[in-house]
Amino acid sequence: MDNFYIEATATSPEIDFRFDQNLLSMKGESYPENAAAFYAPIVQQLRTYLASKEGAAITANIALAYFNSSSTKMLFSIFDALDQAAEGGNGIEVNWYYDEEDETIFEFGEELKADFTSIVFNDRPITT
Amino acid sequence: MFNTATARQDCTFFDLAQQRNVIFYHMGYFSHHIISAMAEVVKLQLEISGVSGPTRRKLFSSFVELSQNIIHYSSDALNTSVSEASGLRQGAVCISTDGERHLMLCANPIATADIDRLREKLEPLRNMSLDEIKQAYKVTLRSETPEDSKGAGLGFLTMARDASAPLEFDFHPRADDPDTTLFCLKATI
Repeated sequence: MDNFYIEATATSPEIDFRFDQNLLSMKGESYPENAAAFYAPIVQQLRTYLASKEGAAITANIALAYFNSSSTKMLFSIFDALDQAAEGGNGIEVNWYYDEEDETIFEFGEELKADFTSIVFNDRPITT
Repeated sequence: MFNTATARQDCTFFDLAQQRNVIFYHMGYFSHHIISAMAEVVKLQLEISGVSGPTRRKLFSSFVELSQNIIHYSSDALNTSVSEASGLRQGAVCISTDGERHLMLCANPIATADIDRLREKLEPLRNMSLDEIKQAYKVTLRSETPEDSKGAGLGFLTMARDASAPLEFDFHPRADDPDTTLFCLKATI
């Protein structure tokens, strides 16, 4: 399956899914006009890719400096897809990057960790 | 002919805004592009004015939630004939400082019939502690998105979480149009 790339805008993150390397990256800020519409094709591509994998070692690097409330919900769907793939026998490792001062993103990471226990979740605070 | 006296009088809004420590004010129709441009300016202004990182993030977050609320829920749309997604909707957002605190205000017209629904969402938040707000946020995050929401049903909770005092809100009926009410929301950060 082809790699999937969406360029960043001021209000939406860069999506760089290198399926051929089992490397998934999301980077930037997320407050698109319609988060459900923005994330729907991303979640769909991700699910199709994950469904084709068995026993793979997959890494996701997530570095979102800000996300609005409706993006939060969509991130939950992305983690849900990753967690299911991990339960299905793939090794999923997530690197969760955030500014060390940013309590909100750190706490959201804690929520993800609590809910999606099959994912290896690495906190990656960044010192600014 | 250009009337200097009127122009001078018209300029007093600028002095007034300065006296009330307004950092940013926008009133009119909101679109996603306008929000994006305003966000850029607000972010830069807060950075330059030396506001601490965590406060800056909370202000920015509240600003985005409030402005997107206007696009999603203001009852005054400029172009009702085209699809809802690209509609321009009317409202106002104001950020000002009051000593150490920042005030974030927004106002937009809503259908008078929606007052009770909004009040039911906002009133309980006023009596919740920060821990209770965070708990409610966690529950909502994992629940189905409510039918009347165009986001995730998390907007008010996000604002309540970022604020340092209970959210204040008010409804002003419009004398000329009983079906429309002005909804005002104030967050202190």
